[in-house]
Amino acid sequence: MIPKGVKDFLPINAVKIEYLKSSLHSIFTQWGFQPVTPPSLEFLHVLERGLGSELKECTQRFDDRQSGKLLAFPPDITPQIARVFATRMQEAPLPQRLSYSCRVLRHTEEQAGKDREIFQSGVELIGHAGPEADAEMISMALECLDQLNAPDYTIDIGQVEFYRGVLDSLDLPEDQIAKVQNAILHKDSSGLKQQLENIAIADQTKTEILALPRLFGARDVLDRAAAVVNNDRSKRALDNLHAVLKILEVYGVDQHITFDLGELRGLDYYTGVTFQGFLTGYGQAVCLGGRYDNLTAGYGHAAPATGFAFNLLNLLFAMPQQLAKTVQPSTDALIVSTGDSSSQCHLLAQALRKQNYSICVENQHNAEDARNYALKMNFRYLLTVTAATEQVEVISLDGAPSQTCSIADLTNGRISL
Amino acid sequence: MSDYITFALPKGRIMQDSMELFAKIGITCPEMKEKNRKLVFENKQDKFRFMAVRATDVPTYVEYGCADIGVVGKDTLLEQNKDLYEPLDLNFGYCRLVVAEPKALNEQDDPASWSNIRVATKYPNVTERYFAAKGIQVELIKLYGSIELAPLVGLSERIVDLVSTGATLRDNGMVEVETIAEVTTRLIVNRASLKTKHERIRKIIEGLEKVIGDTPKISE
Repeated sequence: MIPKGVKDFLPINAVKIEYLKSSLHSIFTQWGFQPVTPPSLEFLHVLERGLGSELKECTQRFDDRQSGKLLAFPPDITPQIARVFATRMQEAPLPQRLSYSCRVLRHTEEQAGKDREIFQSGVELIGHAGPEADAEMISMALECLDQLNAPDYTIDIGQVEFYRGVLDSLDLPEDQIAKVQNAILHKDSSGLKQQLENIAIADQTKTEILALPRLFGARDVLDRAAAVVNNDRSKRALDNLHAVLKILEVYGVDQHITFDLGELRGLDYYTGVTFQGFLTGYGQAVCLGGRYDNLTAGYGHAAPATGFAFNLLNLLFAMPQQLAKTVQPSTDALIVSTGDSSSQCHLLAQALRKQNYSICVENQHNAEDARNYALKMNFRYLLTVTAATEQVEVISLDGAPSQTCSIADLTNGRISL
Repeated sequence: MSDYITFALPKGRIMQDSMELFAKIGITCPEMKEKNRKLVFENKQDKFRFMAVRATDVPTYVEYGCADIGVVGKDTLLEQNKDLYEPLDLNFGYCRLVVAEPKALNEQDDPASWSNIRVATKYPNVTERYFAAKGIQVELIKLYGSIELAPLVGLSERIVDLVSTGATLRDNGMVEVETIAEVTTRLIVNRASLKTKHERIRKIIEGLEKVIGDTPKISE
């Protein structure tokens, strides 16, 4: 038995997670990002400086007997990278491009299907304030989805400064703001209207707020938004989005872009462009990112920053068919011997592994058993070695005709599998 | 598959009301009129699919993306608190979620003095949140139907339930004490669908917005 919210992954899914991790990592590397590995334990009071209210609530914490302080399992890697950067890389030249692939833990309500353990692979670009950096993050995330052969995907872009500009002129107590935000978050126009009915506010502000739940869709959102808002902060946010979009057009990825200016997730954490990756038919975002210019300052060294992370399990469950096609647990060849030829088997295995094949050796004497085992375990070839004749029977398990050749031909690579 | 828009609708009256409303913006499903026990109906020409499910299951189908759009009462949304968009109040199926108690108890009762009460309901989460906000401890008894029966047989003193005309409460000798929420039917949308199928979904939302009535309608 294992606790709710965590999973065992057997080879059939574990290979897919590994594949996702390594595919993303190689893209991160191509874009010049260097890996960092933060620890899986932090002091709670240190970690908390970089956590938004939502993540604070779901941090798993416990008492540390060594230090007498509270420890936490990080619920997100970004605050850790911010800490590492601010405390260990103060002298480093900017910008810094850092990547990671880690597991994080989050407390969840006792509901079916909610993961407590999350596999994150992501990047942070620190020390770059311009729209080029935001565009770089979005283009990279799009390239990741493209390389993974994700079907029908979109990166949905928001800008929290747009919302802040709209709400600046609204002077309300915190609980009322929370209700207004909650209605916007759920795009609940009628609920929002009800909230605003009881409040004395300027007509212009009211129009701007009521527009928020409907400001989603293709790029025409930016024009629709420009027609509604009349405050400088929101206008600057729109200019910033136009600048980002212009760079995305250069990369030719803008057809996968949508906008949502009513997207308020992580409001107390992000400071500019935010984005989420979605695959058709899967209700949760597979990737999350955005600009967080105030985060590293919390650890004593201010720097503008932006980044994103893929949730590997969401990717795994959002595109099962595509992944099943590309990744299967499989091994190139199983070597078995007839009679006493185990030393030749091992030598052959060694030679083939040097040629980059994956090889297992089994002393299974019954040909039928060996074949069944190899089929079930997804081997591509069964190699039956006969010591007396120095011959190998190469049996293809995916239907190609079998052939017989000498051990030497395989060992020195004259015949390849 | 993904070029379809799939609706999850609660079986029964709400499904009829919804389809009547959808017809006004040209969303129809001739297949539904055939007498049979199918649970999934398709309009192949316009690429719409309709699933008939239990009302309490509608948010689940939509949250997991099996349906792009759902129609469901605000009571169910309040109770389940799922991560969904609810862009439209369809303004039918109006009713209220209320606290009620037997008439005899009500005559000498003062809600301000409640401190530790026992309540039978189909809505344990809403009930708990409502009373917790008032600082009242509540012992919840979760029932699946005929809630009005509970006080009659001494299972609980009070109930939290939906009331539309109030006839059922009256017939069982109960009176309303407090209203927790006004409830109407909502259109809900899966988060990813709203982003990935935004053109069709926005057209549906904006179309419906124009044909929804202004005053909440009771569905009898």
